[in-house]
Amino acid sequence: MTQLIQTLILGVLVGGVYALLASGLTLIFGVMRVINIAHGAFLILAAFLTYSIWTASDLDPLVTILFTTPAMFAFGWILYLATVRRIRGAHMSSSVLLTFAIALVVEGLMGLVWGNTSHAVRPAYFNESYSVGDLFLPKAQVYGFAVAAIVLGSLYLILTRTWLGRAIRASAVNPQGAALVGVNVAGVSALTFAVGVSAAGAGGTIVSVLYPFLPGSHYQWIARLLSIVVLGGLGSLPGAAVGALILGIAEAATVTYISPQWATAVPYVVIFVVLLVRPQGLMGARLREDVATA
Amino acid sequence: MRHAGRIAVALAAALLLLYPVVSDDLYYQNMIILSLVFAIGAVGLNVISGYGGYISLGQGAFVGLGAYTLAILSTRIDVSVWIWVPVAGLVAGVFAALLGVIALRTRGPSFVIMTIAFLFLLQIVATNWPSLTGGTAGITLPLPQWSIDIQNWPFYYSLVALLALSLLMSRRIRRTKFGMGLIAMREDEDKAATVGIDTPVYKLLAFVASAVFVGMAGAIYGYYLSFVDPIGMFNILLSVQILLSMLLGGRGTLLGPVLGAFLIEALNEWSNNNLGGGNARLLLFGGLMALVILFLPRGIIPTARDLLEARRKRGKAGLVGARLELRERPAPAERPPVGPPLLEVRDLEKRFGGLRAVDGCSFEVPEGSITALIGPNGSGKTTVFNLIGGTMRPDAGEVWFDGERIDGLRSWRRAYRGIGRTFQITRLFREMTVLENVVAPLREFRFGQLNAGAVSGPEAERAEELLDFVGMRAFRDQKAAALSYGQQKLVELAQILMLDPRLIMLDEPAGGINPTLIERMGDMIRELNAQGKTFLIVEHNMPFVLGLCDPVLVLASGTCICKGTPAHIQKDPRVLDAYLGADFVLEEVGV
Repeated sequence: MTQLIQTLILGVLVGGVYALLASGLTLIFGVMRVINIAHGAFLILAAFLTYSIWTASDLDPLVTILFTTPAMFAFGWILYLATVRRIRGAHMSSSVLLTFAIALVVEGLMGLVWGNTSHAVRPAYFNESYSVGDLFLPKAQVYGFAVAAIVLGSLYLILTRTWLGRAIRASAVNPQGAALVGVNVAGVSALTFAVGVSAAGAGGTIVSVLYPFLPGSHYQWIARLLSIVVLGGLGSLPGAAVGALILGIAEAATVTYISPQWATAVPYVVIFVVLLVRPQGLMGARLREDVATA
Repeated sequence: MRHAGRIAVALAAALLLLYPVVSDDLYYQNMIILSLVFAIGAVGLNVISGYGGYISLGQGAFVGLGAYTLAILSTRIDVSVWIWVPVAGLVAGVFAALLGVIALRTRGPSFVIMTIAFLFLLQIVATNWPSLTGGTAGITLPLPQWSIDIQNWPFYYSLVALLALSLLMSRRIRRTKFGMGLIAMREDEDKAATVGIDTPVYKLLAFVASAVFVGMAGAIYGYYLSFVDPIGMFNILLSVQILLSMLLGGRGTLLGPVLGAFLIEALNEWSNNNLGGGNARLLLFGGLMALVILFLPRGIIPTARDLLEARRKRGKAGLVGARLELRERPAPAERPPVGPPLLEVRDLEKRFGGLRAVDGCSFEVPEGSITALIGPNGSGKTTVFNLIGGTMRPDAGEVWFDGERIDGLRSWRRAYRGIGRTFQITRLFREMTVLENVVAPLREFRFGQLNAGAVSGPEAERAEELLDFVGMRAFRDQKAAALSYGQQKLVELAQILMLDPRLIMLDEPAGGINPTLIERMGDMIRELNAQGKTFLIVEHNMPFVLGLCDPVLVLASGTCICKGTPAHIQKDPRVLDAYLGADFVLEEVGV
């Protein structure tokens, strides 16, 4: 029983971080119908930025989020204007291929700058845990979860309580309608992409503390994130949160009850099962594809 | 120009066949062998991605599957290694079919995600199942036993033969109904289903066709390397290079993928020699892929072809702006007597989230009638069409056609039973010519038919007759995308007439077209009706509806509120209320 509760707790803690990472992916899809395959590469990039700041200064790695998030925001903005913007309106698979190409380039650049070896950010508290009865809560996981929850909460408030958030959601639901009521849809798209990438930045900083990483890790991460958004329903923010918790728990359970080496297969199996059983995901609505836009 | 192209292809083929005989340079032999593997992969990928429109990032998985099949079997069973090559093709085909079954319910982005997942899952299985695959250490194969004098000829020529087979298959597919159906799916999958294309069967077959030769090539590739491991065989970069070969050369063309493969392998070799490590290769291929998608999305061959075409046509007036051939036609005979209901809709319901778009709608369409379905914007007319045609499934209610319940049938089965529909915003297959658009519909499904010529025989004649009927024959070789909106409406009408439907459903046939054409549209509908076709028409142009249709059904808020003759409908207070709202009536009373 203790083992089960322990597994659930670890799953939820890591699921919170997954939720933050997946939120950016699903947000970008919701507004632009772009599946950003480079999301995994962006989060690894942020992890490397954290690594560099952490080794060069005495800052707590989680504090570097204050630098990585705006840096990734700017990076996302520029990248959108330089590349993604040009293929708006093209077939959706073009954007998948383009962002995949970007992921390869970012992976190559990270390899050149930081090398293709495994890196890890280990603050002093890395091996410490809080104990609650028989349960143990690793400090890094708890802090990571807390930071992810704060960032995700702020993102949620921005989306639901501000004019900008309403503009983003309006553009997601009906771009033409949003344009008619005065929303600069092109500008909102750039902003959304940048916000999505900055969420990957914040998440990447947390990831750097929790897991070792190397440039090639981004495949595994994008697989996880894709399985989360497919499970939750593409474009659904609450869906991403629910999907993230489920995946976090499923992975933790696989590690505990089957074997750690098969845990990497969990996201792929989730993708196949969801697409077979419920292609629209848990909370995704089927798109009204019949209403072709002229 | 065409000749020059053929000569170039023939020369390239001859060079490929003779190269190992005239030169014993193993370096270039190796390069060509790798190019051939890419080329076979890309030609296969082209079937599903270029023709069918399903982009895959997991094509390299079939190379890996083939290589592993050969490695596993040849190290366990001691017979000639070559026997396992066709077996590897079979294994790849079976996996492709499994993938296809899962893909039946996914499209666009979900599909690409699935192909990546497929590749990585295989890699994990190969890594974590050491008793079968040797795990991370991989499997070392027995070295070939043949004389050193013939170098790598067996590998080389078997791959050349596989490439030739792949190309023959690709060419055959492109010229048959099968290929035409795939292209129709690429252009518009829902629409393809409404004109009788059994999309799941097409998809499954295309998947298998895109994998079998690739699996065999993978087996030869594994044997050639004499070593397989999870990192090398299920490397995403291999899939990227195959995909890039197809994109660069030109997707949907026969030889584009081959051209691309040889270019990509040359680049690969150059980067290995000059740039060194893997990071530079990532930058090179990632960067190239981004550039191709942004600046050369159609690939080399189609772009070059268009440039030549444009040069040839410069200064010549296009046909597209030409006038329609409107001919006087004899006045149609009297209307046939109206018969029993051909179509019955009972308590139909469809919700989108909280919105009840169709809410308990019931009506019937008598055989031989021209029935109108009118109603204010947002009253659910198009949704009713989608429910009858099968593009959407109702949440509740029944649809009966000619005494048979059809609401559980897929779109193409409804098309076989005699329902043809047009769309409010025309949905032609834009990259196909007008004639191809009209011959695309199928009235039944047979496996033999897949292998029939795409545009040939009595069908092509019938299509020309129909184009003549709608006055669009002169446009038969134009791309559908080049036509004006009104012209597209006419072609779409001819297209569904190809189904020889008993019920023709037109969604706003007179919307957005000029008055002459509206009149012509009305005449054609009367003429077809006189031949026994039943019509159900959604239209906002009231003079058109009231002059043509009887009975008229009025839809408001998803329910059929009224039915009657045009004269009756014009006076019915419920109709006035639905169109103009309660406020209007009050005001009028006040004046």
